[in-house]
Amino acid sequence: MTNPADPALASSLSAPASEVPAQQRQSEAPSNPSQPQPQTQPSKESGKPKKEKKEAKPKDTKDAIPATDGAEKLTGAELKKRAKAEKAARRAREKLDREAGGAPAPAGGPAAGGSGAGAGAGQPATPKKGHGQPAGGSGASGDKGRGLPRRPSGQTPGQPSPAEQKKKAEEKNVAVFGHLYGQQRRATVAGAGKEVHPAVLALGLQMRDYVVCGSSARCVATLLAFKRVIEAYTTPLGTSLSRHLTTHLSHQITYLSTCRPLSISQGNAIRALKLAIASIDPSVPEADAKETLCEFIDSFIREKITVADQVVAGSAAQKIQDGDVIVTFAGSSLVKQTLLNAHKQRKKFRVSIIDSRPLFEGKNLARALANAGLDVQYSLMNGISHAIKDATKVFLGAHAMTSNGRLYSRVGTALVAMSAKERAGGVEVPVIVCCETVKFTDRVALDSIVVNEIADADEMVTTQPPQQVTGLPDPAAAAAAAAAESSSENKKKASKTPVPPTNASPLEPNPALKNASSPLKDWRDTPNLQLLNLMYDVTPAEYVDMVVTEMGSLPPSAVPIVHRMSTSL
Amino acid sequence: MPIAAIEALVLLLTHSPSSTISETLDLLEKSTEHLKNSIPNPIGLSAGTDLFQRYLITTLQRPGQLGPAGDFNAIRAHLLSNGRLFIRRAKESRDKIAAFGRGFVRDGSTVLTNGGSRVVASLLQKAADEKGGPSAVRFRVIYVLSSSRNVESSPGAEPEGMETVRALREKGVPVATIPESAVAYSLGKADMVIVGAEGVVENGGIVSRMGTYQIGLLAKAMSKPFYVVAESHKFVRLYPLGQYDLPIEQRVIDFKTEEEIADEAKQQPQATTTEATSKPVARNSCQSVDFTPPHLISALITDSGVLTPSAVSEELIKIWF
Repeated sequence: MTNPADPALASSLSAPASEVPAQQRQSEAPSNPSQPQPQTQPSKESGKPKKEKKEAKPKDTKDAIPATDGAEKLTGAELKKRAKAEKAARRAREKLDREAGGAPAPAGGPAAGGSGAGAGAGQPATPKKGHGQPAGGSGASGDKGRGLPRRPSGQTPGQPSPAEQKKKAEEKNVAVFGHLYGQQRRATVAGAGKEVHPAVLALGLQMRDYVVCGSSARCVATLLAFKRVIEAYTTPLGTSLSRHLTTHLSHQITYLSTCRPLSISQGNAIRALKLAIASIDPSVPEADAKETLCEFIDSFIREKITVADQVVAGSAAQKIQDGDVIVTFAGSSLVKQTLLNAHKQRKKFRVSIIDSRPLFEGKNLARALANAGLDVQYSLMNGISHAIKDATKVFLGAHAMTSNGRLYSRVGTALVAMSAKERAGGVEVPVIVCCETVKFTDRVALDSIVVNEIADADEMVTTQPPQQVTGLPDPAAAAAAAAAESSSENKKKASKTPVPPTNASPLEPNPALKNASSPLKDWRDTPNLQLLNLMYDVTPAEYVDMVVTEMGSLPPSAVPIVHRMSTSL
Repeated sequence: MPIAAIEALVLLLTHSPSSTISETLDLLEKSTEHLKNSIPNPIGLSAGTDLFQRYLITTLQRPGQLGPAGDFNAIRAHLLSNGRLFIRRAKESRDKIAAFGRGFVRDGSTVLTNGGSRVVASLLQKAADEKGGPSAVRFRVIYVLSSSRNVESSPGAEPEGMETVRALREKGVPVATIPESAVAYSLGKADMVIVGAEGVVENGGIVSRMGTYQIGLLAKAMSKPFYVVAESHKFVRLYPLGQYDLPIEQRVIDFKTEEEIADEAKQQPQATTTEATSKPVARNSCQSVDFTPPHLISALITDSGVLTPSAVSEELIKIWF
């Protein structure tokens, strides 16, 4: 905040963007100290997304360097102070975000809010001019104040400018789930902070893109990345490993959680790791300590996940009998292992996979099972009543099991479990959950509203059914279609009869395709339209008959007991 | 049955000269397997043997003088004495249960029960005793007698549970005996259902004599409390998902055509010489069991207290970990 350009910028900003209320300008002003003035103004008014993005990046990197340089020289006490201030700033920013969202006029983006709050420490709305400067008096906090914009600036490319986006987001948030719309998921490693290890950087993006997907996979990947972090770590002078490594890791964790909220298993693993770090004797040499930690990570992965998976798959496979029709939902790795295990035991059974948009996780499962020689039927959620008709057992994967015995898993799981249990006119179908105890949590979930994760709603727009190769003639394409009447006739026929995509694609230089592919494409600009892309739901304990864990098979009511035992061991 | 099995195993250990831990465990495993194979329904038995085995292992793993590092002869002596203690406790548990369960049989109530469970019998007798001997009659019993035994085996034999009926009547408790088909009819007059169990499984359900499941369903439909009386050594590490998921083979539902019956009749004269082969089947069909799921059970009265079905798994986990 010692930047002399600051007050000038603040005043210059106020002139062009006069419709922006003073309060919000305040918070914005100190945030963009190094921003070139001419660029700010047009982007503010026209809302060109690309430009905002571009200018955000150089600013970030510029800011990041002094910030981290400062961090190098900091002593332990200062570090602590800094961390504290950062936390306060983060809270304040979140608060501001919320406030700004509620305000009639759009407030600045998260970047603006963040740094403003960082300097002002929780009172961003005071109309005092340049109030960031006195607050950022000391060198450390000044660095911090400027360092902060790094994080939130990682907005998805191609998004509207912060101001505009905020306004849209407000309209586009489904009210009931309003509390779940946190930060935008990070889309770039830019401004991720120097402390973040490259392995973690990569992992964060992989998790964001669902390349690393699934609770256990994410947990293992995180632990492996942290292992590399620990291997590359050297304790700074004046601190001890057991004290400093935890804060070092928490940088990585914060980064990961901005890419995608952490899963329960990740949280449990991180908690165990931190406990292991804290229990290291400060007198132990660093190399030894690091080795101990790496061993701890390896054994954690082995005991809690790899071997646990084998045990679970083994005991769950025993529940499969000849002639069974197993229904499963989406693509749990543990269910896959179970089914393959049962197949290896030469059990004769059929698998019916139910899948859902937009992730289509069941596709990989279907392919893997079919390649292994199982009899697989694949259908989407729409066909659930049909698929459940001849089912004899339902196997489900889990994201987490809560302490009241409820299953927290991929959205749609509850529907599958309910269909199995409430099947009309049939015998009850047992619902079996395969879950390692590392996924148990002491949280309690009563519904899927309070705790959940909202994914980018654009996922629902872009993943149009790929089967729709022939395309429905929509009004826009009608003119084009009329020109080539004979060909459109063909297409209509083709759309009625199920044609495999490979066959239909040759006659598909279709102009209608592009238009038809995304009727929701402009959903952000369409009034009265909100998209909701939830990730998880909660299945009531009554719908779950059995939870297969590495510690044995349990009724859902025994989850808290086992959780207590497995964490105390 | 579980107690008998444990008794046998303790006897075996007393008489067999084993000098190492693994030898002992191996011997135990082999004889357990032998016991299990020799009877048609090993559920109750396995509860006892598994528990005993588990008990031995945890004792052996315990650090200290009796742990793996200690003198094996000392360990062995300790095991044997503890094994006897175990049996004594198991036998005492029936009295304990009766003490816990007495409170459930209240003045003026009518209890519906079935089968020949000795725990149920002792509970009811205790209740009758407490109420002040033959003259003071405070509760009545509807006893469901299995009809299948009369038909299948020799008609002269008494149905299971007749001794209990007699004993209760001696104590002045009015007892009505009804066939299984009259359960729904009579349940309206009953205030509660108390049944025994062969095994209590991990989800809190019970494996019990054939016919218990339907009583449970009827009791649920009429919203009468359904209590299960079982000793905690009957807890089995088993998780059946339904009637047909039990680890035993039962030929309860046996489809036949006229032709097959004729075939069987033809074979019958040949088989008369080897009568032993046809006998187990007949015995099997009346000793068959069914599974009563936990949601039909109001509470389990055990020697470790009165438990809800979901608490059973907690108890089991406590035993096993």
